[in-house]
Amino acid sequence: MIDAVGLTRSYRRNATVIPVLVGLSLRVARGEFVAVMGASGSGKSTLLGILGLLDRPDGGTYRLDGAEPPWGDDAALSAARNAAIGFVFQQFHLLERATALRNVALPLLYAAGDVADDAGRAERALEAVGLAHRALHYPGELSGGEQQRVAIARALVNDPALILADEPTGSLDATSGGEILDTLRRLADRGRTIVLVTHERAVAERADRVVTLHDGRLTGPPLPPGPAERPGRAAAADDAARAAGS
Amino acid sequence: MNRSRRITRDALASLLADKRRTALMMVGLATGVAVLSAVVAVGQGTRQRVLGLVRKHGLDMLMVRAGGEAQVFAPRADRGLAVLFEADARAIEAELPNVAMVSAVQNQRGIPVVHQDRSVTTRAFGVEDDWMEIRRWGVAEGEFVSAADLATASRVVLLGARVARDLFPQGGAVGQVVRVAGDPFTVKGVFVEMGASAGGDDWDDRIVMPYTTSSRRVLNRPALEQIVIRVADARRLGATADRVRELLRTRHAIGPGERDDFFVREPEDVEGAALEASSTLTALLLAVAIVALLAGGVVIANSMLAAVAQRAREIGIRRAAGAQASDIARQFLLEAVAVALAGGLVGVAAGIAAAASLGAVGIASSRITWLPFALALGSCALIGLAAGVLPARRAARLDPAAAIRDPAR
Repeated sequence: MIDAVGLTRSYRRNATVIPVLVGLSLRVARGEFVAVMGASGSGKSTLLGILGLLDRPDGGTYRLDGAEPPWGDDAALSAARNAAIGFVFQQFHLLERATALRNVALPLLYAAGDVADDAGRAERALEAVGLAHRALHYPGELSGGEQQRVAIARALVNDPALILADEPTGSLDATSGGEILDTLRRLADRGRTIVLVTHERAVAERADRVVTLHDGRLTGPPLPPGPAERPGRAAAADDAARAAGS
Repeated sequence: MNRSRRITRDALASLLADKRRTALMMVGLATGVAVLSAVVAVGQGTRQRVLGLVRKHGLDMLMVRAGGEAQVFAPRADRGLAVLFEADARAIEAELPNVAMVSAVQNQRGIPVVHQDRSVTTRAFGVEDDWMEIRRWGVAEGEFVSAADLATASRVVLLGARVARDLFPQGGAVGQVVRVAGDPFTVKGVFVEMGASAGGDDWDDRIVMPYTTSSRRVLNRPALEQIVIRVADARRLGATADRVRELLRTRHAIGPGERDDFFVREPEDVEGAALEASSTLTALLLAVAIVALLAGGVVIANSMLAAVAQRAREIGIRRAAGAQASDIARQFLLEAVAVALAGGLVGVAAGIAAAASLGAVGIASSRITWLPFALALGSCALIGLAAGVLPARRAARLDPAAAIRDPAR
């Protein structure tokens, strides 16, 4: 699903260039639930931005579902994002002045061509996260956990293959956070590919596999565990070398 | 529903969802359009009213009345000091430039007119043959007084519409004989309905005969009540009025410091001044309105530019959901145009209401036509479009990854 090799990305602030990703490689198999752990400021969100086609890497190659994204063609890139990727953010990122239903329907707004029954689809997505009864509520009228479930419904409404979750439990209490993780876990079990970034070990451990982002690179098992290769902790070494070898 | 319709609908829904912001953005433009609409409606109304008066009576007429200014409103009996004579009329005609036509006018109330068993008491006018053209009257049937009638002081009479109705309910007055103050007169014509003067005189309640006939056969006096003058160039009406005044003062041997024994009235000078004043006021208000429109556009552009920063998070969310940069641009443009148009509509409504109420309380007459409002709305759309371009471009160029990552920035 995801095949990123040697990704680099740096930011320019005034005259200084701040490298964030320095040769990061990551492979995620279809249906896999991978957690990327890292301290705040380690570049987790930057990585997610690139994986989600919101940001272009300075170097390296990124293949999504076997194809290099059409960087440079905003329309095609946006269409790919719309069709293939659902986002879940720490701050929920719902539109404050839109009802839960309108928020969930947002990706349908930007879907290509005619969309039949967009309201119905949004309703069913809300139903799937157990919030059908809150459809006409505004985000301000919902609890944090409910807002995040609305955000998950929004991520799912267009039936994307990949869910990218950025600290989805970071703004929630333990109970609500647990529910959100249960939901993501269920999605993964039904074959949805999920990449979750977090700084919490407990959250990361709900994933199939945990990699750690440190100094702009990943450590931890870079490849999905399979019959041919089941890397243990000992095998975890420089990930760039592995990427080169794989 | 197709994609662009979905996006359009969503943009409008967003505007409705944030009514306060939308209303604030509309205020400037709405004010401008309101002033503009009111000005246009009042301007058109005034123009139409004045044009109507010109068409009806002409703005090119001077009326000289016997008696000084003070006596105009004095009891009629006191106006016996009739000091206008036909010679005055001839002098005006002969000596002054910019005088196209002149008619001596006599008139007297209480003249009985009888036809068989029907009779009326009306006001009799003695006039010259140019009188009808000077006053812009019209003859419905028959003919007006001719030069030959004047020369022979013939006993012919024209009836006002009401007099004709009263004496000849079946019509057919022309050619009939009526008795005017006892003498038989042939009805030469019947006037069209003229209505009433501003002062309330019923212009249909009168009869008109040659001046020579009235002075020699009916009223038996040479003195005139009025001299009416048509000027060649209406723009020099005031100057001509001054020349008439000078001439008559000389002819009447009125010394310096002494009062006029006549009164030159420019019947429509009030209207002319109104037209002039209203066009000055219109120009001023139009300038204000245009400034308000531009300011309204700047307000929209400015608040939308500010909104791009405030709405960075929203833009990021939409981009993450699959919005193309062009979709974002379109949303902002659409918002600007919709706000501008809504402001325009509110303004037009307010302007029409203002113009109508000004008309209702009699401060100004207003006339409402669709064209200025279509133009106002069209300009609003253009202003909105212009105001939206920069914010739309900036919104479209916003880095979505950064907007999502740290939206506060």
